[in-house]
Amino acid sequence: MRATTTLRPPRHQADPRAVAWWTVQWLILMVPVAAAAVAAYWTLTERPVWLGAVVVVFAVGCLAVALVAPRASYRVERWEVTDQAVYTRKGILTHTWQVAPMSRIQRVDTARGPVQRLFGLAAVTVTTASSAGAVKIEALDHEVAAELAERLIAITHATPGDAT
Amino acid sequence: MNGPAARLTQDVSVWMPLSRRRLWADGVKSVPVAVGAVIALVRVLTGLDWPAGAVVAACAGATVLVVAAVVGYTAAKLRTTRWRLTPERLELRSGITVRQHRSIPRERVRSVDLRADPVLRVFRLAVAKVGTGEHAGDGTELVLDGLTRHEAETLRRTLLLQDAEPAGRDGTLAELRWSWIRYAPLSVWTFTGTALALAGLYKVLSPLGLKGFAGRMVTDLWDWVTTQPLVAVPLLVVVNIVVGTLGAGLLFAESWGRYRLEREPGRLRLRRGLLTTRSLTLEERRLRGVEVSEPLLLRLAGGARVKTIATGLGKAAEHETEDVAALTPPLPRALAGRLAADIAGTHSPAPGDSTPGDSAPGDSNPAGSMLGESVLLTHPAAARRRRFVRAVVTAAVLAAGAGTATWLLPWPWRAWVWLAPALALVAGLRLAVSSARSLGHALGERHLISRSGALVRRTIALDRRGISGWTVTESYFQRRSGLLTVSATTAAGKGHYDVVDVGHGEGLELAAHAVPGLLEPFLVRQKQRAA
Repeated sequence: MRATTTLRPPRHQADPRAVAWWTVQWLILMVPVAAAAVAAYWTLTERPVWLGAVVVVFAVGCLAVALVAPRASYRVERWEVTDQAVYTRKGILTHTWQVAPMSRIQRVDTARGPVQRLFGLAAVTVTTASSAGAVKIEALDHEVAAELAERLIAITHATPGDAT
Repeated sequence: MNGPAARLTQDVSVWMPLSRRRLWADGVKSVPVAVGAVIALVRVLTGLDWPAGAVVAACAGATVLVVAAVVGYTAAKLRTTRWRLTPERLELRSGITVRQHRSIPRERVRSVDLRADPVLRVFRLAVAKVGTGEHAGDGTELVLDGLTRHEAETLRRTLLLQDAEPAGRDGTLAELRWSWIRYAPLSVWTFTGTALALAGLYKVLSPLGLKGFAGRMVTDLWDWVTTQPLVAVPLLVVVNIVVGTLGAGLLFAESWGRYRLEREPGRLRLRRGLLTTRSLTLEERRLRGVEVSEPLLLRLAGGARVKTIATGLGKAAEHETEDVAALTPPLPRALAGRLAADIAGTHSPAPGDSTPGDSAPGDSNPAGSMLGESVLLTHPAAARRRRFVRAVVTAAVLAAGAGTATWLLPWPWRAWVWLAPALALVAGLRLAVSSARSLGHALGERHLISRSGALVRRTIALDRRGISGWTVTESYFQRRSGLLTVSATTAAGKGHYDVVDVGHGEGLELAAHAVPGLLEPFLVRQKQRAA
């Protein structure tokens, strides 16, 4: 018998509205790219058929990525806050788990971008003394985010230690 | 006790001036500026056909003016600068036009660094930099520029050793041996330094009106190289290496001459410098570990150097040739390992160590020569395979590129393009071997130890109490080979230290044991029949 150890997924999922938000963000990035490719094909080339096929595949691919990636992210992105630590998971191809103990948290920030605000979402960033240790929980309902930030601040105040 | 020492230790706190010898020192330091001014004057005035007497007079005038200006400025500074040490605070008043009053509570003083360039040393002066060590370079330092050496040393002792408790571990940790100078040329700078120095010289000569001369030299040299490459190229390479070696040796001597690393109660004291002497203090409370670093060339010669992993160390100061984190010059690897273990305290025996059950049998003495050799646990074979695959894939991509190039380009020398993938394959495989051999980790009583790196092999020992979180990453390819990278985040050094390509379960267990209770609640252990 041999024990295999794995990390369990954090308890909570991102807010379901995150899928719509990420889709909008991906579209903002990808639609101009696809449009530029089509426009370049239309105006700059002799419009050979084979190149047209390539351009169409490219443009459709861009849009497909913009629609699929957010759903994939939603499936992997999870978070959890216990009395001892903040724990997150993210990443589609490269999975990344982060753990930051309460005793080392120095700063708790909430942020809401313009598109994020449309969907009523907010992000909470937890910073430790390390330059590499910031843990970000993206796409929370903005009220949940505010509550979480307050709770984190309360816990970190109650936890002794000089946070280095 | 007498003089300043008595004044420092008494409770009577007098406002004290800086040493008047600072005037002389600045007078001497202004001479090169005056010489520069004189050279420029001579060039301009002879160009204007002034009589010799007038030129001499003008030069004398300029010299007097420059020196007087500098000395006058220093005198004004000396008149307005006063410092005092009260039982509670160190205070400094300064400023000619804008008056400043700065003070540091004595109990917050963490470091007193002394520095003396050759001129200051002739006048037996020193610059003392008193830091609270909280964050580097945000104005928490107080600089006393122009104490006598005796005052500076007494100040250092008074400020730092007030809470001295006798400890058995004090004493000298390392002292310079001149035989270490053999490691000095083993850096890329030896081979590139000469060219850089020449480029620098060219830049200096150009504004002095010698541009034509320098330019002619360069074109002559180029002609010589193109006409007789078989003689010129080896000769240039040899000259380059000789000059580079000489330069590296001189730099080593200046940076590390009189090197001495001592342990004082609660601190490390590093003294070094042949011409400009420096004395640096590092509070052990800020120490989160040590790093033994072995760059390729140094490693081939069996050398290594020791660096600190500490919080609040800034970037290298101006005019400094060494990294602030450097604790030793390049020295023999065995010694570096011993020294690192001494500094980090990994020597202490570890009875009933909490290392997980799946560690190697030789782990009963995890400290020992941990930073040197051997006791590190090796990583799975998949980690080695990953490195070989990476080297082969890189070479294959280059080969594909070379193939396309020879097919498309009508060059006469296109066959030479194949040299790139061939070299990449050889170098890549060589690096893969050394990278795979480097990989290793261990858990000591107080430290997490990890080693990795192909070009620069780094062995780090990170204080487990200094770990402020974990980041575990698993890329697509790592997932397929059952590996992951465990990264300990910390406030010190570069912010995170990684155990690269460790086995999946092994890496998580390592992290769970290194900081009890942190990762534990998020782990799932499944019993599984071994295949």
